[in-house]
Amino acid sequence: MNVKKVWLVAERDIFNFLEYRFLLLIRWIWFIFQIFLFGLVSSRFVVIENYFNYYASGMVTLMFYITALYIGYDLIEEAEHGVIDYLLSLPFSRREFVIGRSIGGGLRASFFALPSVLFVSWLIGGLNPFYFALAIFSLLLFSFSLSGFSISLAAAIKSHDKFDILMGVIDAFMVRLSTAMYPVEAMPRFYALISSLNPLSFASDVLRWGFNFKKYLLASPATDLTVILIFFLTFNAFGSYFYERRLEGGGWT
Amino acid sequence: MFTQSLKPVLLSFFTGVFNHRSIGKTMSSGSVKVSKLSIVVEALNLTKSFDGFLAVDKISFKIYEREIFGLLGPNGAGKTTTLLMLTTVIKPTSGSAKIYGYDIRNKPGKVREIVGIAFQDPKLYWVQTPWNILVWHGMVCGLSRSSARQRVEDVLKLLDMWDARRKRAHELSGGMKKRVEVAKLLIQRPRIAIFDEPTSQIDVSGKHVIWEAIRTMRDEGSTVILATNDLSEADRLSDRVCIMHRGRIVALDTPWRLKDSIVGGDILEVEVLDEAPGKMIPEIKSIENVVEVVDLKRKLKVYLNKGEETAPKIVNLLLTKGVKVSSIKMSEPSLDEVFIRYTGLSIKDAEMKLRDER
Repeated sequence: MNVKKVWLVAERDIFNFLEYRFLLLIRWIWFIFQIFLFGLVSSRFVVIENYFNYYASGMVTLMFYITALYIGYDLIEEAEHGVIDYLLSLPFSRREFVIGRSIGGGLRASFFALPSVLFVSWLIGGLNPFYFALAIFSLLLFSFSLSGFSISLAAAIKSHDKFDILMGVIDAFMVRLSTAMYPVEAMPRFYALISSLNPLSFASDVLRWGFNFKKYLLASPATDLTVILIFFLTFNAFGSYFYERRLEGGGWT
Repeated sequence: MFTQSLKPVLLSFFTGVFNHRSIGKTMSSGSVKVSKLSIVVEALNLTKSFDGFLAVDKISFKIYEREIFGLLGPNGAGKTTTLLMLTTVIKPTSGSAKIYGYDIRNKPGKVREIVGIAFQDPKLYWVQTPWNILVWHGMVCGLSRSSARQRVEDVLKLLDMWDARRKRAHELSGGMKKRVEVAKLLIQRPRIAIFDEPTSQIDVSGKHVIWEAIRTMRDEGSTVILATNDLSEADRLSDRVCIMHRGRIVALDTPWRLKDSIVGGDILEVEVLDEAPGKMIPEIKSIENVVEVVDLKRKLKVYLNKGEETAPKIVNLLLTKGVKVSSIKMSEPSLDEVFIRYTGLSIKDAEMKLRDER
């Protein structure tokens, strides 16, 4: 695999992302509202101790989650503009291409979400340097995984409308059935079981370790990292598979 | 006196008229020179079908190094599908092609390192600017960032796109987008450059710039595949033309040979100062390759084959017999007539028919 080529693919996605100025601005406004409106209000009636801190760290994970998934929308839009054919004609292997895109999608999400990590760490006031570094690494991997996941889905579905709807459904399940916003202790048993299998829960969990927030944790940092690593490998492999087999030959709607 | 002074002028006129043909001959597949050129693309029974629709039907052809190979046919003939297979964007249903010896099925990565394509519809992502698109393209194709920037600057200036380099793709006009698409290949300079309808949506002066750039690419070592439905473009640029219709190749040769394949295809119109003597007609008819002579009082219209050899003989005969010639006009059959000959339809009619059938 040619690392330079992989990086060129990633670089393109990062620079494209910077052009979505309005979208990025809206996403930041969303984050501020979630923290200072919903977070503050809900922490006044939720019985979980230090819920604001719990919620704020979950919101940071969601920033990674949401922005890493944008790459699938890019793919769909590129297909609509015919750019996929152009990209497929370039001197890359399909594997270099999908890995480059996963890295690009993950890196741009991380660059975008990193200020929120620093902001919330300042708000919470606590930090464990070792776990924090581990958390950042895990979130980076998590972003790459989500980008791979988004690419796989977009390439498999090949339809803007269907992708949009499906992402809405997945978002409802992934976010609500995770520990991003509330701990498993507050959930009915069945929901708690599903939430404790959700990669988003593990990503939220490892970040809380980094913030030194040691209540309502799901697993050890090592377990969190392992689950995220499996997620990363699985969806980059799927992404490569679907890219190879589904992108060629049009059929986008 | 008049006839004597006119003679060398007339002969040089014919030399000029048919000069492009002699160029065509040096590049033709049948000539000695071409036989020394190596084959860089070899398609064998290349076939592609989409959900039962046969877009390309077992086509076989060879392309020689440093030639401009025209793919001519109406929209829907299978040209773009053929090009997409050659660039490994889509896989053939059956058959294959080799590019510099690399099979498009087994070695697509190697093929992509050799081939570059400027698509029929510009493939530009809406948020990107021509500058970003092209610098990135140059780097992907192996240039360093600084040399990519330099080359992009040169090409954008050549194509009169320098002032628009920072505009987003969605702000560009159709013609500007097309120029950016063509610019990709001029920056990349691949060993095999594929242009799919490079001058559609481009104004006349822009067309000439692009045609010149394509010729320069060829002269500098690239082999060019030019897909077009513009007859004059195919005729003007191609060393050989492959005519496609309904996914099949119906003819493949140099433009002049294709035109010569039409019996009586060349037309010589000779205007004379006095009435054309009717007695001359049988003599003109007796000249080899003359098919028909029409007497239009002060004008003779001669239908003939192999115009480059036959027309000077006719004019010489007239001058020798003391006929005072005031003007001469030579016209050739167009590639549209060649297309009609092989398909029974003009390119426009074929296009309309294909559209109706779908």
